[in-house]
Amino acid sequence: MGAITGYYRAMSCDDARAKAKSLGSAAAYVGGGVELVLRRNPEVATLIDLSQCGLDRIVKTTEALSLGSQVTLAAISRDADVKAYAGGSLAYLAGHIAHNNLRNMITIGGAIGRNQPWNDVVPHLIALGAYVEIQDDQERVMPLSDFIGHREPGTLILGVRLPLVNADLHGFLWRFTRTQQDISLLHCSALIGVQGGTVSTATVVYAGRPGGTAVYPKVAAELVGQPVRAETFLRAGDTAVRSVEVGDDLRASGNYRRELVRAAMTRLGEEMTGVAQ
Amino acid sequence: MRVSITINAVQCLLEIEPGEILLDILRREGYVEVKGDCRTGDCGACTVLFDGKPIASCMMLAAKADGHAVTTVRGIGDQRNPHALQRAFVHNGAIQCGYCIPGAITSAKALLDENPEPTREDICLAMDSNYCRCTGYEQQIEAVLEAARELREGGSR
Repeated sequence: MGAITGYYRAMSCDDARAKAKSLGSAAAYVGGGVELVLRRNPEVATLIDLSQCGLDRIVKTTEALSLGSQVTLAAISRDADVKAYAGGSLAYLAGHIAHNNLRNMITIGGAIGRNQPWNDVVPHLIALGAYVEIQDDQERVMPLSDFIGHREPGTLILGVRLPLVNADLHGFLWRFTRTQQDISLLHCSALIGVQGGTVSTATVVYAGRPGGTAVYPKVAAELVGQPVRAETFLRAGDTAVRSVEVGDDLRASGNYRRELVRAAMTRLGEEMTGVAQ
Repeated sequence: MRVSITINAVQCLLEIEPGEILLDILRREGYVEVKGDCRTGDCGACTVLFDGKPIASCMMLAAKADGHAVTTVRGIGDQRNPHALQRAFVHNGAIQCGYCIPGAITSAKALLDENPEPTREDICLAMDSNYCRCTGYEQQIEAVLEAARELREGGSR
């Protein structure tokens, strides 16, 4: 990282944003710093440290569970409110990504800001209906799925909001990996609501296809209004195989991934019908 | 830039470059018990405690450590005054070449500080950062279980 000549400790979000604005593309915010160290951007000369900006808290309000952008994955995995949210799928994910050393360093804001194609955090947050709180010229809150597609350089990520209206739904997570620490060959996340034995709401997200996150409303539509039975999820699997774009890379062929797309729906069905082992 | 890092309970004022990583600073200052191997955050040889939590020092910007406490395996115990974990690693034959052991013991120390009665699964998850290519992991797990028992029964530390 020979190109780094400045390190600025911002004392507030306004301070950080002003510094970033003045330096433009020559500056980068530092969360855990892991990605900055691993993948150095020669254009960046100044790092803006956010650790003094009060963004390292998890707060439950009447409307949302708010995770500050500097909260680490390890902290998320241990938090009682996150463990209780949507069946605890996010807490489980945050406690099993990469390894313990990195989970103590990687921040949720960094994971969103970098959003590498192998990212497992962003697809799961999108499935949970997360919003992102940002600061550019003003503070704004927007669906994370919108933010990922239209992110402006220099935008400061303040945190993530998980709406409490989704807290009692069922969060589903399936990462198919070669080893526990490997990146996903295929990632499937979902958020399912059930009323009276019928699927009332559904969001289905696939990632690692390879490539980034995509929401699949067609697959979700196959589930909504249907009884929670294995056949429902098998049908959704057929739709998913037709809808989800997959490709080849060094880890797996597109054909193999296509089978995983179907398997993810089968696994979701097993989990929802209570027969998952 | 100048930073103040408390290393093994000693406050150190250090002159660093803004882009330097913590591993390089520690080794330059003589903490060579912190090993550097992969430098991609994968192997765990460079594990240190950062305010009591294990991190990969090869992935941490040294500037981020300003005002924080860093503990290396030497700060946990040494040959004259070994920690229960260090004794247990020797007793269980959990050490062969020894390169990964500083990191493994550091991760185990963080676990036992937080969870004095870990299960095998807890140990595997807490030490999933630390690769060993000699002895394997079974002896290390036994060593952590033994140290945890000793500490619960009032061992020295």
